[in-house]
Amino acid sequence: MTKLSSIKNKSKSNQLNKKSLVTFLILFLFSLLLILLCLSVGSSFIHPFNVINHLIGSGTGEYDFVINTLRLPRVSLGFMVGAALGVSGLILQGIIRNPLASPDIIGITGGASVGAIIFIVSFMGTVSVQWLPLAALLGAAIVAVFTYAMSWKDGVTPIRLVLIGIGVAAAMNALTTMMIVLSDTYSTSTAYLWLTGSLYAAKWQDVNSMLPWIVIFIPLTLLFSRIVNVKQLGDDIATALGVRVQLYRMLLLFISVALAGSAVAYAGGIGFVGLIAPHIARMIANRSFAVLVPITALIGGIIVVLADLVARTAFLPLDIPAGVFTSGIGAPFFIYLLYKNRNM
Amino acid sequence: MGVFTYSLSKSKLICLLAILLASIVFLTACGDDGTESNNEDKEQGQAESEDQSATESEDVREISHAMGDTTIEGTPKRIVTLYQGATDTIVAFDVKPVGAVESWLQQPTYEYLSEDLEGVEIVGTETQPNLEEIAKLNPDLIIASALRHEEIYDQLTEIAPTVAHETVFDFKGTVELMGEAINQEEKANELLTAWDDRVKDFQGKVTEKLGDEWPKNVSILNFRADHARIYFTGFAGSILAELGFTRPENQQSDEWGIQLTDKESIPEMNADVFYIFNEEDPAVEQTFEEWKNHPLWDNLDAVKNDQVYMVDEIIWNMGGGIKAANLMLDDIYDRFELE
Repeated sequence: MTKLSSIKNKSKSNQLNKKSLVTFLILFLFSLLLILLCLSVGSSFIHPFNVINHLIGSGTGEYDFVINTLRLPRVSLGFMVGAALGVSGLILQGIIRNPLASPDIIGITGGASVGAIIFIVSFMGTVSVQWLPLAALLGAAIVAVFTYAMSWKDGVTPIRLVLIGIGVAAAMNALTTMMIVLSDTYSTSTAYLWLTGSLYAAKWQDVNSMLPWIVIFIPLTLLFSRIVNVKQLGDDIATALGVRVQLYRMLLLFISVALAGSAVAYAGGIGFVGLIAPHIARMIANRSFAVLVPITALIGGIIVVLADLVARTAFLPLDIPAGVFTSGIGAPFFIYLLYKNRNM
Repeated sequence: MGVFTYSLSKSKLICLLAILLASIVFLTACGDDGTESNNEDKEQGQAESEDQSATESEDVREISHAMGDTTIEGTPKRIVTLYQGATDTIVAFDVKPVGAVESWLQQPTYEYLSEDLEGVEIVGTETQPNLEEIAKLNPDLIIASALRHEEIYDQLTEIAPTVAHETVFDFKGTVELMGEAINQEEKANELLTAWDDRVKDFQGKVTEKLGDEWPKNVSILNFRADHARIYFTGFAGSILAELGFTRPENQQSDEWGIQLTDKESIPEMNADVFYIFNEEDPAVEQTFEEWKNHPLWDNLDAVKNDQVYMVDEIIWNMGGGIKAANLMLDDIYDRFELE
């Protein structure tokens, strides 16, 4: 019967995919325009035409520092961070089957924060700051493994994962607060900045280290998309359809942690992107996971780049952490989601 | 249905994804090329400035500092200071920076410096100075702090030669570094000698006046909305130590200080003299009142002898430069009624 309906739907799904393709292309173009805008706006305005000239190499070189050293790495890193957070949230919402799931809520971001704050409070000044991302990544990984192990009881059920995740996240927040309180005033402000999440001081080095995570894990997500689609139906049905539920859940969780962990490592605790991006994607595209992955990635990227654009231009000469603005949009959106799902 | 429609779009999607990735890689590659050419340009720029400074002065100095060695030629004219102590110090040298970071309080600059800093561009906050703004000022020297600016040091050096101090509160170190960097080592020595003379003068006068009661045990207290702090080291702590104040036994540590969350620990504060700086905030004020009303507070030596002094947080904790240090010393002279 399913085979029959699949054939019947063939033409319809083709249309659907054309529509997705159009959506994707529009978003992609929008992203490019946004990036162009980001490259031309700042303390000094550079005409977009000159930016393009500069990028294709026919400029005079007068914008080398502002575009190549400051704006381009910042916008590239921002886009990748947003994409990683968005897809990470999409995976979590898929495997946990709860629209409120996100890397912030089940403690991945919290773990990364603890790692980063330990580094800032104890090692900053003695160890080079370039190891900070590693500390954050390590924190995220440890907490993810811990949460997963704690949720294990003849397999991991989504609800147990969420509940334990929330508990672990709360514990991590407590730990972070405690370390900040115990630290001296000079590292406190650095710690707070990190927690808010900022693309300040993004360098090509950061971009290059972030790139592999995106290039490996987002396509890997696509490979698993069929599984996620089946898992949406519930564990029982998925098992009945021959999906090795536990194995794939673990693999997907791993991808999600890798994406969120790397994003947080390079940009700090930029919040709510992992929650909002998948929702916006579902509003404008069909619900097939394979379609949602690239669209969510683009939307996540757009959110972070947009937030950073506002953050670094709205209050000149101040350069404000982008996380302030993602939370500014994210928190009301979260409340809206809770309101919408209040009968669930 | 999604499950079954998936396979149809797979190839297209992978194709699209490849395009996306290719474009990201392209962007990155672009940037890399750019960085290289940028370096070349920078070298050219440096060569030009070398020519310029060579006509002005032959003086070339190699300065080793917290972030490495930096070569500075001649006397820099367009200086940007990236931490409060550096801004304070450059004013003490009678040099006006072209750019400085925003002060923590009394934005954009502390009142005790505002007259001297009139017209100086604000380049963002100390923790995240705006690199584009700094670049726009076209400086020939940047004074930074490794504690704050380690992450952006490379970018700063692309803008201008940058020297960095390890911390933000070592006012003597800042004077020395600044003197070397702006080619005014004599003035730096002058400032430091004047300071040492004042310290000696204070010690002489205070010993004369107090006799056996000197040296006094001192505690530096700071009340927050939800806790109290005792500072051991830092700006004020190091100056008080230099003046000859002693510390209660429980406070003789290299730590920055301790944090008290429970009023039961009030006895930890005990000393002959209290210098207290609080933020002007109703919540802080209320906490301070609560702590003062605790019965243990009245048992403290400083409270019993009426030696509790409220001091200016900006001078005692935030200025961080030699001007602030001198103002702090003025304050202590006044409080001991010395002339």
